[in-house]
Amino acid sequence: MIEVITLLGIAALVAFGVRKRLAVVGTVTLASLVAAIVIVALMPVDASGDVLDLPWRMSELARLAAVVMLGTLCLLVLAVWVDEPAYNFFPTALVVGAVVIAVLVLTTPIAIYAALLLGLLVPVGSFTFQVHRNRSAEAAYRHFSFVALGGCLGMAALALSASLGRDQPPATFVLLVVIIVVAFAMKLAAIPFHTHAALLASEVPASGLALYFGVLVPTTFIAFAQILVLSGLLPAIVQIGKVQDLLLALGLVSALGGAFLATGSTELRRVAVYSVIANLGQALVGIATLSGPGIIGAMAIALVTGLAATQQLLATGTLERRAGADRPSATTAPLAALAFVVGGFAMIGAPPLVAFPGHFFVELIAYSYSGWMGTALVIATLGVLVAQLRAAMAIFRTAPDRWRVERRPIAGIVGGFVFAALLIGGVQPDGFLQPIAAFADEFLRALHPL
Amino acid sequence: MLLLAIVAITTLAANSARQLRYMAIAFFGVALAAHLIDDGSLAAAQVVVSACAALVASAILFVAARDRRYGEDPGWRLWIATVVAAATTAAAFVFLRPETGDEINTNLLGPDPSGVTTEVAAFWLLSSGIAILLTARGAVRGSLGALLMLTGTQLLVRLVPGPQLALTLLLAWVQVVVALAGAFLIVNQRAAREA
Repeated sequence: MIEVITLLGIAALVAFGVRKRLAVVGTVTLASLVAAIVIVALMPVDASGDVLDLPWRMSELARLAAVVMLGTLCLLVLAVWVDEPAYNFFPTALVVGAVVIAVLVLTTPIAIYAALLLGLLVPVGSFTFQVHRNRSAEAAYRHFSFVALGGCLGMAALALSASLGRDQPPATFVLLVVIIVVAFAMKLAAIPFHTHAALLASEVPASGLALYFGVLVPTTFIAFAQILVLSGLLPAIVQIGKVQDLLLALGLVSALGGAFLATGSTELRRVAVYSVIANLGQALVGIATLSGPGIIGAMAIALVTGLAATQQLLATGTLERRAGADRPSATTAPLAALAFVVGGFAMIGAPPLVAFPGHFFVELIAYSYSGWMGTALVIATLGVLVAQLRAAMAIFRTAPDRWRVERRPIAGIVGGFVFAALLIGGVQPDGFLQPIAAFADEFLRALHPL
Repeated sequence: MLLLAIVAITTLAANSARQLRYMAIAFFGVALAAHLIDDGSLAAAQVVVSACAALVASAILFVAARDRRYGEDPGWRLWIATVVAAATTAAAFVFLRPETGDEINTNLLGPDPSGVTTEVAAFWLLSSGIAILLTARGAVRGSLGALLMLTGTQLLVRLVPGPQLALTLLLAWVQVVVALAGAFLIVNQRAAREA
């Protein structure tokens, strides 16, 4: 596995060196990412080893998530290369790819956390553009502060909990786990820790946003679940109900708040970002139920939401660029508009897409947990549905005399590819859900170690 | 205990500095003193890696300043950050210190196998970093806060059983990336203000 990380790391250095020669840097980046996907896909499940005594293991979930994330990165790189040349993006995407693999395969919680922190800090360069004309530098600074604060607090709490004996007072563990949960909530932009995401949504380039919400946020969510399993803190969480209540509250507030904010948004990028926050809220509720279906649903939602976010944010970028100073409209980029609309199907978890089982499992388990919790999640989904419908109606408000496909319709092609992948996954859900179910088994075993 | 005092004083110096270059030099002092605190498990390789990362991080901030005068006046934020950091350090020590039952023996110059000095230094750096980060107006003090927090985290990670050299290397990389991202933001915020 170290070979893949090294390959992507060296490719990132090369890409940085030739970043202004678009054809070269695009080719190097895409070729490296495709090579990494092939190596990961061919690697046997449960392959393991260690680097400097740091153990790693290629679990079923790690392989699935790595292929999905690296594939998403390929689509992003292609879109940036063809439609929105941004020199810093290519080395950033490669570093993020290396970090994603490290986060997925490492089995030491602090190492996972440190790798995640690296990945979350790297896009600061991609967030900042034309600093004389917008507030992207301020948005990037806000992101930097949140990541540094949440990252260091979480890692410190994790280190303390690992160095403490198990005979400590329960209050100590409650405090440490609460710090870890809040630290992750900051990095996941869960409400009420979402202010940096709101600023990012309005100020940074769409490709940077897609990198963050399409790849890094789902990776953060998976890292959170893995750290809970590997840190040995789960039995303490089960014994002390307060932590579970905190997770449930955070999830519900994010699901409802994200849906509410999405419904009130008039900008496409905000609709997409708040829909992601709402979905991650649902995923947090799934994890907080500490049940098999809840965990499977949560991980499925996180992965599919990343793909849908990439699809919608790339489409938004194209629509905004084509519209110029006017409101984004389907008349200037019909394929991108269509990609945005079909991305909305995945965001709400509509069948027959593979987005459906995740939402179904989490809402079902929420109803079995308590009626009002299930109702709250259904209301959140309805809110996202309304927001997506409003956005779609706004894009297609005016119709031209004759529809003409835009020049270089890369956002439309990416959207079509993602939709096809989600449809195939929906028709054959086992291939997608089986690796997640294997992780859910590990999670449940860690809950009750004996 | 002497190194703990140096950590506290250099943190205050970094916190109160108006110029980024002085801040960078003071941060290097903080990091060096913190990594030299001996809890009985100090390995030369780890100290060298951590000290190199701190030197690189300080150098990055030093270069990002571009001239001697550039920085951020802390004003009243200095006092808020100091008071909050002192109170939080005490609270963290009371609530989060492991109950080992061992007697605490600290001395002025020698190693402290009980780990108390390391923990107090870590809590102090984390609290100072949080206070500075939360009250910062821009990337200059924001970067300092982030680096101080990370140094505190490095001290706590040292107490965890496991592959220490690998973790030290990983955190050293994180420190360099924090400094690079901070420097990038400092340069861009300055460009935006001067435009």
